[in-house]
Amino acid sequence: MRTESKADEQVILSEGQPTRRSLFSLTALSVSTATLAACGGGGGQSNPASAVAPSIGSQPPTDSGPGAPSNTEEVTKRSRAARFLHQASFSASLAEIDEVLEQGNEVWLDRKISEPISQTAREYFSSRGFDRVDTNNHFDRSQTADFMIFSQLLHGNNAVRKKFAFALSQFFVVSLEGLRLSWPAIAIGSYWDTLNEHAFGDFRELLEAITLNPAMATYLDTIGNQKADSQSMREPDENFAREVMQLFTIGVTELNMDGTPKIVGGRQVETYSNEDVQNLARCFTGYHFDYSGTGFDTYPNSTRQIETPDFVTVPITSDPRKWRKPQTASLHSPESKEFLNVSIPQNTSASETLCIALDALFKHPNVAPFFCKQMIQRLVTSNPSGAYVRRVARVFENNGNGKRGDLKAVFKAIILDDEARSDTMLTDENFGKLREPVLRFAQWARTFGATSSSDNWEIRSLSRSYDQLGQSPLRSPTVFNFFRPTFVANRSTASKNGLVAPEFELVNATSVAGYANFMEAIIEDRAFESRDIAAEYRHELPLAENPAELVEHLNLILTANQLSEGEKDGIREAIESVQISDSSDQEARLRRVRLAVFLVFMTTSYLIQR
Amino acid sequence: MFISKLNDISRRAFLKRSRNLACAGAATSYGMGLIATGEAAAFENISGYKALVCVFLDGGNDHANTLIPYDPINHAKYFNIRGNPVNGQRVAFDREELFQNLLKPKHDQTLTDGIEYALSPWMPRMKALFDRGMLAPLLNVGTLEAPITRSQFENGSQPRPAFLFSHNDQKATWMTSGSEGTRTGWGGRMADLAQTRNTNQMFTAINATGNGLFVQGERTAPFRVSDRGVTQFRGLQSGRLFGSSAASGVFDRLLRTPSASVLESDYATMNAESIEYGAFVEDALGNNRAQTDFGSDNELASQLEIVARLIRSRDALSVQRQVFFVSMRGFDTHTDLRDHSSLLGKVDFALDAFFKEISTMGLANQVTTFTASDFGRTLSLNGLGSDHGWGGHHLVLGGAVDGGKFYGKAPKVSLDSHDQVGRGRLLPSTSVDEYSTTLAKWFGVSSSNLQMVQPNIGRFAKPDLGFMSAG
Repeated sequence: MRTESKADEQVILSEGQPTRRSLFSLTALSVSTATLAACGGGGGQSNPASAVAPSIGSQPPTDSGPGAPSNTEEVTKRSRAARFLHQASFSASLAEIDEVLEQGNEVWLDRKISEPISQTAREYFSSRGFDRVDTNNHFDRSQTADFMIFSQLLHGNNAVRKKFAFALSQFFVVSLEGLRLSWPAIAIGSYWDTLNEHAFGDFRELLEAITLNPAMATYLDTIGNQKADSQSMREPDENFAREVMQLFTIGVTELNMDGTPKIVGGRQVETYSNEDVQNLARCFTGYHFDYSGTGFDTYPNSTRQIETPDFVTVPITSDPRKWRKPQTASLHSPESKEFLNVSIPQNTSASETLCIALDALFKHPNVAPFFCKQMIQRLVTSNPSGAYVRRVARVFENNGNGKRGDLKAVFKAIILDDEARSDTMLTDENFGKLREPVLRFAQWARTFGATSSSDNWEIRSLSRSYDQLGQSPLRSPTVFNFFRPTFVANRSTASKNGLVAPEFELVNATSVAGYANFMEAIIEDRAFESRDIAAEYRHELPLAENPAELVEHLNLILTANQLSEGEKDGIREAIESVQISDSSDQEARLRRVRLAVFLVFMTTSYLIQR
Repeated sequence: MFISKLNDISRRAFLKRSRNLACAGAATSYGMGLIATGEAAAFENISGYKALVCVFLDGGNDHANTLIPYDPINHAKYFNIRGNPVNGQRVAFDREELFQNLLKPKHDQTLTDGIEYALSPWMPRMKALFDRGMLAPLLNVGTLEAPITRSQFENGSQPRPAFLFSHNDQKATWMTSGSEGTRTGWGGRMADLAQTRNTNQMFTAINATGNGLFVQGERTAPFRVSDRGVTQFRGLQSGRLFGSSAASGVFDRLLRTPSASVLESDYATMNAESIEYGAFVEDALGNNRAQTDFGSDNELASQLEIVARLIRSRDALSVQRQVFFVSMRGFDTHTDLRDHSSLLGKVDFALDAFFKEISTMGLANQVTTFTASDFGRTLSLNGLGSDHGWGGHHLVLGGAVDGGKFYGKAPKVSLDSHDQVGRGRLLPSTSVDEYSTTLAKWFGVSSSNLQMVQPNIGRFAKPDLGFMSAG
């Protein structure tokens, strides 16, 4: 995130004499904008009654310089803004906190949502030649997809949109693990672009776009799926039909609007039978890649012909004349299809069938609570109240203008809801969620201005748990995502309290240490990824000689002032143990900042986003 | 680099503390039941080391291309269903390809319709172990709430597992005999009963993959290892963090900071467990290395290698009974069953290497390895792949296995016979419950306590399927 005040500090830093002046100027700025915000009114702050002294942020700022915040209310406001940013976006810079306070939550959110998309996978690949047939064999490799997705999560505009798209990528899962087609990186890049493009659009359109996306169609076998053939005893592939119901729309049990399962006769009610799956499977037959825009390039110094990647970036087609081996006969199932009380007569065309099938799924009463609850879990809290789920689900059903499936309205409803915003939730011991490892890494990169020296963001899969994050974007181990929405570790306090803790499926004795060691290496600039990626700590270095201020600063931007007094004391103590020998000792200053940042990333107050 | 050798005093303190940690949280009715049972009665008084190793074939193993009809009549039926070429490719094996791996039972055995089975041509090592009597195939086993017939299935007069054919649900049901959301697996429940045999109870259940639901117990929490062994916090292990030893001390404190927040506390507990147990296991593993070649690029073999190393260190770990969980991904073969063959080739190599390694320790009779999976698959094809099914065939391997013959009832080779629910989705004739209690009995769970492992076992005919020899 670029900030207005950056130019000034750069000058200060370049003199090699960081002083407290830079902090003063920042705090002065924040106060003046906050004053403005008081007139503007906070759009999304729906609980003014709780504005007074919550349990957090009650520590008065240690800095008493000119214009420093002088009361707990000011600190509370800034905490709230940071917390809002952490939920709605990847990170919170001082400048963004000021922006939010100035504009109010909803206005700020509306602006971010309407920001034009400035980064696409397509552009990433083409501008670097990663979509060309050359001796790098990009047509056969997925590594550039990892680079691409990290380039988007770790830097660049549209952070709010991408945050939601990342959540969507864990609901409509396609993974590079087990994605087998040529040009896998371009294919999943096109899938990511699709999620990003539709993130604040229409659920029904998104559903169709992902259904016809070549990466999804390959991942769940719609590609080449054919009508039954009694002679060869072939049956339609059931993979997509099953998962589009189970995971992408309605789930396996009938739900109440608050997300709880309906209980009839002491049992849950299954939403569909295997007959439904078999009939729905017929709907997704007769599709293949659209090769009408795809040509061939010659592999260097050979006669080998390699297909260009166009076919993995355009929707798959049921028109057999556009297939790689064009033909006139459709392979779509001509039989009638009966599922979920829908009946599609025999000999209905593939495209019409698809439309009816997706409409039926989209209109199913389960979709709203099923989808909305999981989005709340990804963005705000693992255990939303039934009322919270119901409020958001109602917005899914009707955005206020009679429209169903308005994803922008759903996202805003999640982020601006009382349960997400209210300070009272901070004292609820069951509230919050574990920050996903990938989101912690993205927060580090964005908060501290990480840059890529190659500008390719050359970070490979970070899936290993013993020395990496144990999670890598677009690399879920299966279509069931990195963790299940109902997961809770047995014998955990969460389990005893009747809670779920999905992200804890990634937490074990190996991964907690693997995460710490990875972050230590990244922050110390000696990780494998450090060849290309490094952070600047521009705002933090000037605070190195003032441990208390450094801690307060990190506390605000990383945890929305949620560190406990004990944690803050400990981190201060650790910072002070690194001696700064004289004013020119830049190495020690950097070491102090890195140590402080690392320790904040290790505190449970940070790890659990509340 | 490993520095933190524990001296005897701190080790004793560690053991005491850890035992307390491991015993916490038995307040549920099941946990109370465990206590009421009394620790001595829960387990047969058997000395010596024993381990069970669950090999989970993740995604739903295609049993029909694992154990393949060989006799001319049944092979012809199989070939009729699976032998049609698609784009010049074929899924079915012909008899010539199967001949080498024909499984001839050591005594005459007549199965359904006189069927003879060959193992996949990609599993020659398992064929050799069958011939040596170390390997037993268990036919058509699957999740059941109670025995059920085709007509009962269709008219709904008998309960059946919820959410059949769904990966996550059936996987959970295989592991727990409950639906997704059940918190203990039958491996974990066995570990609950076996815990008292171990000085260090926290190493009773070891998970080398995934979330390890199978080895979650009421009192047992599986200890997680990677194929590299344990992972320790570098900033603690080295005693210095960013060059500061004081910072390392702070780090240790921060990791364990208790909190009013439930999720924060759970994370801190896991940090503490990693710190406490990690160093101890690292110490116990020492420099022991596998003596057998476990190859490379085989995730199952890598996991089994660390399991073997832990078993080699059983005395240092102070354990007599252990349950391990390992897995291999990729079995959801909707697209192309030819991928399935290479997966089975890897399973064949990994299981064989593990058995060899265990044998070098003289523990062939004391370690039993068995397969599990989400479900079987359809016999009918959707092209070159198969879809989600129900019952499937599984393999049990070990010196204590009464191998070289088949167990359970062979299904007909058909798409619509009475022993299935269509497309070759097998109606299980043997339940996972029976499979597990047979293993549990061998492991040392007394007959009267099999219900602690599988509460529904009373509904089934055979709590002991006979594939394990006594002792």
